[in-house]
Amino acid sequence: MELIHRTVNSVDVLELSGRFDAYEVPMVVEWFEANPDVKQVVVNLHGVGFIDSSGLSALVKGLKRCRQNNGDLYLSNPQQAVSIIFELTRFDKAFSIYDEVQNAIEGFST
Amino acid sequence: MRIALVTTYPPSRGSLNEYAYHFINHLRTKPEVKEIFVLADELPTDSAYPPDDASSGLASLKIIPCWQFGDWRNALRIRKAVRQIKPDVVLFNLQFATFADKRISGALGLLAPWMAKSSRTLSAVLLHNIMETVDLNKAGFGGNQLLENVTRIAGNLFTRMLLKADLVAVTIPKYVDILTEKYGAKHVVLAPHGAFEEIPEPSYDLPNDVIQIMTFGKFGTYKTVGALIEAFQQLQETHSQPLELVIAGTDSPNTPGYLDGIRKQYAHVKNVRYTGYVREEEVPRIFSEAAVVAFPYNSTTGSSGVLHQAGSYGKAVVLPKLGDFAELITEEGYTGEFFEPDDPQSMATAIAKFIENPEYRRQLGTQNYIAASGLPMNEVVDWYLLHFDRLLAKYNFTPVSKAQEAH
Repeated sequence: MELIHRTVNSVDVLELSGRFDAYEVPMVVEWFEANPDVKQVVVNLHGVGFIDSSGLSALVKGLKRCRQNNGDLYLSNPQQAVSIIFELTRFDKAFSIYDEVQNAIEGFST
Repeated sequence: MRIALVTTYPPSRGSLNEYAYHFINHLRTKPEVKEIFVLADELPTDSAYPPDDASSGLASLKIIPCWQFGDWRNALRIRKAVRQIKPDVVLFNLQFATFADKRISGALGLLAPWMAKSSRTLSAVLLHNIMETVDLNKAGFGGNQLLENVTRIAGNLFTRMLLKADLVAVTIPKYVDILTEKYGAKHVVLAPHGAFEEIPEPSYDLPNDVIQIMTFGKFGTYKTVGALIEAFQQLQETHSQPLELVIAGTDSPNTPGYLDGIRKQYAHVKNVRYTGYVREEEVPRIFSEAAVVAFPYNSTTGSSGVLHQAGSYGKAVVLPKLGDFAELITEEGYTGEFFEPDDPQSMATAIAKFIENPEYRRQLGTQNYIAASGLPMNEVVDWYLLHFDRLLAKYNFTPVSKAQEAH
């Protein structure tokens, strides 16, 4: 899996691609550990073709971290296979999920 | 957050007591959880629950025995306890026979989540099994066919009652599908069971110079070793490293004498060792010594317990290309080299990749260890808390702890 980080309007955008499973999760967890004060994060899942429970758990941890800092974590562009997992776990109700990464970034300013 | 759990809890021997014990231990470590009340079943007079615990840095824990296995009044008694405690959330840790082994008492107990909700408390159910998949005989609700049919109809009605809870969590995706499709439920969530404890990370080094290929199980039906021995023979001819094939286990009860026949048929192949029955205490050594674990199956009925074992010992594996087996195990996070079933050449090619590339062997062994470790329960608890937060906000409930802070 690849993780590319960029900052747009003080929002941290994480672009993920590949399989997001237990083997790849440490990369994301380590990013959050290295950025403990992070508040506004968008995780773009456009390039993720597979996510398992460990991947979901990493996102939950990230969300908790952002909310502890009075921020939030939004998701964008999940592929259909990933959306199905979010529906199965009802995390589609727990996370704000946007069709486009730009909309997710703008979601923080509205 | 103030959380009540309706569950069995050690030293009660009721089912799901161990699950509750570990779940609560993890729940207590979460900073957003301030108080936990365990609404447990009453114990025999010679036994007692641990005293209240308000250890620093953990949510306080109070155990309140307020229901009794087999009592038809359990739902009423639990509702009364919930009204007294006034938790933000009441979570029921349930299976269909949690409250009784008799139909009527058992069914009446299952009204408890709905009754708790009617007390204006957010109610959630963790349902470990569903009526559609329960073997009624094994669950103790068997009898003649008519009685079984009546039980199932009643079970459907009580499933609908359980679904009155604000959130119903199940541990298997299939259960979500059934409850969603059959009952039209929109608030059923998948929440993994979670691993109670972390499996210690194994060493990926091999204890000796001989490269062992090991297969484990009961052989003769869908696990057959003839092709594996022929593959091993080819590997010995093409590789200079010292190799050993370990066939660990016995005949399947349905095929007595199978391994004796194989031993005679392949007596000319050197360095094949048959362990016979492997005692429980020998299992770690058998797995630890293996470089590669082989699955010479020609059919499967789902995932594999041996694969989970191989993963927990950090082993590289070779697996058959069978139906959706590869897809299933990949979804579980496992990986390996795949071969055509019953094809010695294909099997040898798959095994050779690990013999020739120790780094690749370690890499896949690590991945399988991670898959076998599963999702820690500590993280599963976060899933529940996230849902509770969402629902408390949705219904505009102010968690007691926050209300207290506001005052």
